Amino acid sequence: MKKIQKKMFIPILIFLLFINGCQTTSSNNPISGSDNIFGDPLVIDTPLNQIDGLPIDGDRSLFQPIYFSYDSSAISPDQTAICEAVAKHLKQGGGVIVEGHGDERGSREYNLALGERRAIAVRHFLIELGVNPSQIQTKSFGEENPAVGDRHDEEAWSKNRRVEFAIY
Amino acid sequence: MNKVFYFFIFNLFFIFVSSSLGQSIEIRKSTDQKISFSVQNFIVDNKKESIHFMEVLKNDLVRSGYFKLSNTDALFSLKGSVKTSNKISSKIYVFNNSDKSSILNRAFDSEKINYRHLAHRIADEIIFAITKKKGMSSAKLALVGNISGYKELYICDIDGANLRKVSDDKNIVVAPEWTPDGKNIIYTSYKMGYPNIYQTGQSKPISSYGGLNVSAAISPDNKYIAMILSKDGNPELYLKELKTDKLIRLTATRRANEASPCWSPDGKKLAYVSDSSGRPHVYVLNLGGGKPVRISSSGSENVSPNWGSNDLIAYSSRQSGRYKIVISDINNRSNKILSLDNADYEDPYWTPDGRHLVASRSINYRSSIYLLDTLEERSIPLVNVKGDWFSPSCTR
Repeated sequence: MKKIQKKMFIPILIFLLFINGCQTTSSNNPISGSDNIFGDPLVIDTPLNQIDGLPIDGDRSLFQPIYFSYDSSAISPDQTAICEAVAKHLKQGGGVIVEGHGDERGSREYNLALGERRAIAVRHFLIELGVNPSQIQTKSFGEENPAVGDRHDEEAWSKNRRVEFAIY
Repeated sequence: MNKVFYFFIFNLFFIFVSSSLGQSIEIRKSTDQKISFSVQNFIVDNKKESIHFMEVLKNDLVRSGYFKLSNTDALFSLKGSVKTSNKISSKIYVFNNSDKSSILNRAFDSEKINYRHLAHRIADEIIFAITKKKGMSSAKLALVGNISGYKELYICDIDGANLRKVSDDKNIVVAPEWTPDGKNIIYTSYKMGYPNIYQTGQSKPISSYGGLNVSAAISPDNKYIAMILSKDGNPELYLKELKTDKLIRLTATRRANEASPCWSPDGKKLAYVSDSSGRPHVYVLNLGGGKPVRISSSGSENVSPNWGSNDLIAYSSRQSGRYKIVISDINNRSNKILSLDNADYEDPYWTPDGRHLVASRSINYRSSIYLLDTLEERSIPLVNVKGDWFSPSCTR
């Protein structure tokens, strides 16, 4: 048993040393990168806020949700006006939990990642609009909290692929 | 008609895959003969625990897939007895009828109330004595159910019995996974407002970074936890060394999502989902170094990998509009699609016998837990309780 642990540790260590030699900019050491043209828009890594002491809920009635295409986290041009209104509101203070959701197709775990990516894409857009990153937290619900849960058709799915703004 | 159509699709698929990746697809029904096994000379007293014990034992033997119960011309016979007084006690003798040799001769006892547990234990002993293969009768499942109106964590035995609620978070629970010793479950819960990772028996979260904390899986040697975090600005795959809390980021796919890591049985590799190619596919990453290798080739979505003790990776693949179970042998670069009924099968998880999978099966958007026999390619329901059940995880 111990042998296996040692065997695993040493290659990882060697690899990390190797990577450290190549990349000096980041404290993290990714060993698998992707720079393909297929994926969603490149999101600059902006670290999320620590959740200690952050509000866990907010008022979702102030702004309409924005909607997404199937398996996409790209914000479509017709949804940007809502983001701009949210940005304007946040410049007066307070904060927002950007809640990402998906439709029920795909695995639950994949949809959690996809919902988070939708929330992060919106967060990134709000930051570009001048909002302080400390005012924006993300929360993915994946497919767990559908807006329309009793129907299973294209119309219901399109309403479920959304980001909601919980303002605090 | 359907069969002809699927055969045609499979052939197209075969030609496509074998020409593009040099892989081969194996589609066959097992014609393995079952071993005939007689229990007629086993003596059961008239106490209810003994009678239930015998039912559980017979069901376990049949569920294993290796046996058919038969009183005539049996290859193997069970003799001995079970009786219940203060305790339930059983003498187990198994004979090979072809040469009259004794292959199992043991006495067992336990508290009366644990008659199911005792039957499972004896079933696995009998299965091992005859087939030299590990049984699954004593395994336990963790799963998520919504019967209370919330998504809570439940556990049950592999035969669906002893179903009980473990969490009382009154919120959302996702992605349960047993710890390697099978004593605890790690899972993501929203009980404190954000998706954090918890372990049963501990009130503090074991991972609560900003953003997503999900899909936790502990390495077989108990040293590392693999999980998906978005704290650095995108969902990525991370390892945390449990002793030191040191975090190692394994992927940097800023245009893509990662999800669902699972460990190889030797703890040297991870299989996980990434959509860095544009669609979700299953990748294998060698922790000793090297680029991740994509193992799924067809299907519009390939998700939820699980790596069994048999070194095979099962995952769910959306093919022709249905989620099907694919079994991938990465050593031989072959993929096999399980041919089951026309329902959606998702979240496959290997049982300890390396022959069966548990999975969620949905039809008309109602989901329940099924046991899949990968050799005979058939599925049987495990949890017959109302509500939706999903995300099964099995002890090793």
